[in-house]
Amino acid sequence: MSDKNKGLSRAREIYLNRSQRARELKAAGRRIIGYPCVYVPVEMLTALDIVPFQTCGEMKEPISEASRVLPSSFCPVMRSCLDCALKGKHDFLDGMATIHSSDPQEKTARIWQSYTNYPYFHFIDMPITVRPEALEYFRNQLSDFGKTLGAFAGRNLSTSNLAAAIRSHNRQRGLVRELFELTKSSPPRISGTEIVQVVRALTSLPVLEGNDLSAEVIAEVRSRTNGPERKSGRLLIWGSTVDDAEVMQVLEANANVVVNESCGGLRAYRGEVKLGNDLLGGLASYYLREITCARTFRQAVLGETKKDYARDLQSRFGYLQRMIKEWRINGVIMLLVRYCDPFAFEMPSLKDYLDSLGIPSTYIEYDYTAGSLAPLRTRVEAFVETLG
Amino acid sequence: MPIRGKAVMYFAGVDIGSTMTKVVMIGEAGDVVSAIKGPTGPEYRRLANEVMQRALEQARLDIEQVSYIVATGYGRLKVPFADRQITELSCHARGVSSLFPTVRTAIDIGGQDAKCMKIRDGKLVTFVMNDKCAAGTGRFLEVTAATLNIKLEDMGELSLKATKKIQISNLCTIFAQQEVVALLSRGERVEDILAGLHEALASRVAALARRLNIEPDLVLTGGVAKNIGIVRAMKENLGCEILVPDEPLLTGALGAALLAREAYMKATASGEKLPTKQRRLERATFFG
Amino acid sequence: MAPEKGKKAINRLQSMYPLRAKVNETYLKSIEAIQAGKPAVWAMLNFYYGDPILKAMDIEVVYPENYGAIAAATGVARQFLDRADAEGFPTHLCGYSLTTLGYASRMMKDLKGQIPPEAPLGGMPKPLFLLSSAAICDARYKWFQALGRYMDVPVWTLESPTPGIKEFFMEGYYERMVKLGVQHLRDFVAFVEQMVGRKMDWDKLEETANLMIEVNRVWHEVNELRKVRPCPMHSRDFWSAMPAALFLAGDLQDSLKLYLDMYKEVKGRVDSHTGAIAEEKYRVVFAELPPWHSLGFFDKLAERGWNFVVESFGYHPPIPIDLSKVSDPLERITRFSLQFFAGYYQDALKQRVLGGTSAYPYLKYAREWKCDGALLHPLISCRSASTHLPYVSDMLMHQLKVPSLIVEGDIVDLRLFNPDDALARAEPFEETMEHYRKMRKEARFDW
Repeated sequence: MSDKNKGLSRAREIYLNRSQRARELKAAGRRIIGYPCVYVPVEMLTALDIVPFQTCGEMKEPISEASRVLPSSFCPVMRSCLDCALKGKHDFLDGMATIHSSDPQEKTARIWQSYTNYPYFHFIDMPITVRPEALEYFRNQLSDFGKTLGAFAGRNLSTSNLAAAIRSHNRQRGLVRELFELTKSSPPRISGTEIVQVVRALTSLPVLEGNDLSAEVIAEVRSRTNGPERKSGRLLIWGSTVDDAEVMQVLEANANVVVNESCGGLRAYRGEVKLGNDLLGGLASYYLREITCARTFRQAVLGETKKDYARDLQSRFGYLQRMIKEWRINGVIMLLVRYCDPFAFEMPSLKDYLDSLGIPSTYIEYDYTAGSLAPLRTRVEAFVETLG
Repeated sequence: MPIRGKAVMYFAGVDIGSTMTKVVMIGEAGDVVSAIKGPTGPEYRRLANEVMQRALEQARLDIEQVSYIVATGYGRLKVPFADRQITELSCHARGVSSLFPTVRTAIDIGGQDAKCMKIRDGKLVTFVMNDKCAAGTGRFLEVTAATLNIKLEDMGELSLKATKKIQISNLCTIFAQQEVVALLSRGERVEDILAGLHEALASRVAALARRLNIEPDLVLTGGVAKNIGIVRAMKENLGCEILVPDEPLLTGALGAALLAREAYMKATASGEKLPTKQRRLERATFFG
Repeated sequence: MAPEKGKKAINRLQSMYPLRAKVNETYLKSIEAIQAGKPAVWAMLNFYYGDPILKAMDIEVVYPENYGAIAAATGVARQFLDRADAEGFPTHLCGYSLTTLGYASRMMKDLKGQIPPEAPLGGMPKPLFLLSSAAICDARYKWFQALGRYMDVPVWTLESPTPGIKEFFMEGYYERMVKLGVQHLRDFVAFVEQMVGRKMDWDKLEETANLMIEVNRVWHEVNELRKVRPCPMHSRDFWSAMPAALFLAGDLQDSLKLYLDMYKEVKGRVDSHTGAIAEEKYRVVFAELPPWHSLGFFDKLAERGWNFVVESFGYHPPIPIDLSKVSDPLERITRFSLQFFAGYYQDALKQRVLGGTSAYPYLKYAREWKCDGALLHPLISCRSASTHLPYVSDMLMHQLKVPSLIVEGDIVDLRLFNPDDALARAEPFEETMEHYRKMRKEARFDW
């Protein structure tokens, strides 16, 4: 890794060769644990001096190993993720921290554990609702996670280390939010593709290195003059995981993608973990309540005995209204992978909400393969053309 | 007929579909000066220039006289002589609107895909597409025509002679083929089977269209629109009148030409300089 | 080997008929009751967790998952599926959910809440509230949330903890699951009380819970009897008899009596070495959801000597658990429900079969019911009933040298199941089963 390489060009480099830094660290004696979903509280790994590494799918890699154990009618992102693992692409990992954020995550985690033999493997269960007993259950799950991690690391998870880790990861969240502030202008100062590359890089680096990289990128973007071209379409992309640069390039071929509301973009960085007396409780609360993934069942009023659809929509999607205003969004693309159930059920309701705000939107489904780019392009372009 | 010697502006729309390439050229008044269809060929972008050449010949023009060229369709991205690419959805919407100003819903059934578009004031508003599954496209008819050993162009007329309702239960084109063979061996009439196949295709396309709020007037385009059996089956499925242009294959290219003209006029009026490509016809290269 | 003329290929249990009839009667009675004004709730199958509450509160429960199967079998599903498609729901979604969404759209948008006249068997009335469950898959709670587009009725989502197999045995883990379950159920009771405007009759709940547990205990014992050779009870009888226990249909005392009758009959067959089919050549395990509309398919296989001896983990009663020291009925219900999922965990951990709750039981079934093969039935629009099947197939071969035959289908697009095609593959699969019988013998397995 060239140490002349900084900022955006470093992010690009890491994006193309994600595991390089993790392998270097492993060779230097560090422990690396993979996680397939942003719901895993990586602060706990950092606090025990373990490097978290997000195991992602690879859209262009044809599935071969995973087809033995997972049917084709299955989340293609997780299938790809498992395929990469079974092909040995994550052989540098000391273990996996998995979580019940969705069915495919849960089912893949089991199969993953069965077919690999890492020194460490843990499955965190997650409740569906944000009720008080659910939060308490989740907090306990995190506590159990901390125990097995501690046993693996050879020491207990200390409060001070966890607090420090939370601060570092909060700082990273803040830095990513700053990056997204830079897309508010017209034209945005940084492109959707560049942000995807940065976020991917952050999930491949230890948190402090990621924070340095983010700061470099922010400084570079602020001072450069050759940012993205101004386009009349300002898009918000809503989806589960939009983390592939080629997909993003298709999305922003004729428009500016200014908000990536997915796990490859802003979603995991929008809030902050509260530091208080109960750090695990703070983590549980942040992850379960603040991350706006369709997998969590939300209601306007917990346990409501009267239901009102408009109020329900406002409680579930109201945060988008502010985003649309602040980023001056004039179009929303709901980009879903085939076989993703939580987002597929969610989508028509989101469309209703966006219709009520008068924001044009379109739903595009793709199957997370190289062949899906051309059909995606036609639909994205046609939608952008309708925005005038 | 173009007026030679006058500095009239011309515009071209090139629609490169997976099987057919269509070129329509219009004058600045919006009048059509040429319209040509030709096979796209296996490496689809390569023969677009040949069709363009024929269109120029028909209009008795040289390519330098064309002010602005818009490419659309499957192969729109790599046409070296096109100044801009616009999706076939927007182009069809525009083309259909010029032929039927009251259109609100347009359905295009091509060889490899089907598109449904909502249109307002000549512009595309929203759309749905199927380009994955052959069962709701012209391909379904091609495959089943081959199985029945009849010509594609005869299918529609023959299907109208059905006396019995046969339901094709298989949605998948491959399995439908098998089902056709089974029906034939059972002694079912070709006309009745054809009617069943037309109904199957129409119901698929209708299901796609119903994702939009279907409003009249409804226009059907694409190669399959020439099939009278499909038109009737679509009418039955959607429960409304269906308008079909005289040249249902050309609406995309027509729309592209109209959009080319609009873009050029708009830029001229505002003093904006529109980037254009070199006016030279050469084979589109696969890697260029 | 063809059966004697007039004789059926599968020797059905006499005691099955009243259990099957009971479910139909209960269903029809329920429709009458609802028409007479009783409150109705749409519920997901919730594995003994929420149902006892509803039953104790005397609420009529409608299961859209079951109605989806009825709609599919009566050919009515297509119009509801098309409607859901037109409403913008992606077509890959669970067929039952799309049927319900289409139905709800039709009922509420076209008919202002009246049951659609084309709906078979009395349809589904507009409910007082919706009860979803997080158990088994994501669709089962997102779907009822999506119904909010058509019906402004409250939704309660029942939590369903899904522990990792190793994690489950961490200190205090199970107790914490129970704590979640009990508190959650208490809150649910309060919700139901508010919705129906009545207080819970705790004695009735206690009785309901106890009966539910006892009915399932007897039902479990019935199925344990099927381990012998020849197997006295075919999967067809299991599928016909299980709804009464799984859905707590009708009077539970009556169900208990019927299952006890079944136990007697099956025990009688065990003692007299009577099998469910004339000549048991192959003992087969089935996973997961059967092709409800084409059960005659199994009769054809029975003619070839295929006895289906165990099946469908998702429908099996929990392994019995001693709850005698648990006084709180809510806790008893919680522990019983958790037992459905986690009852196999200890075994699974010992065998190091970590591929998920739905998968391990098949290893146990194949071994303890001495199966020669597995018939796996993946359903294209039901991922939760299909995802584990490749792993099951792999595990059965790898650990037990038991081969699997895959026969595809769907829950609503019934055309996808091709029984002729499946039967054509029966003969070569018989050779495979015979081959692996030899392999197991060589490897010193005891069947």
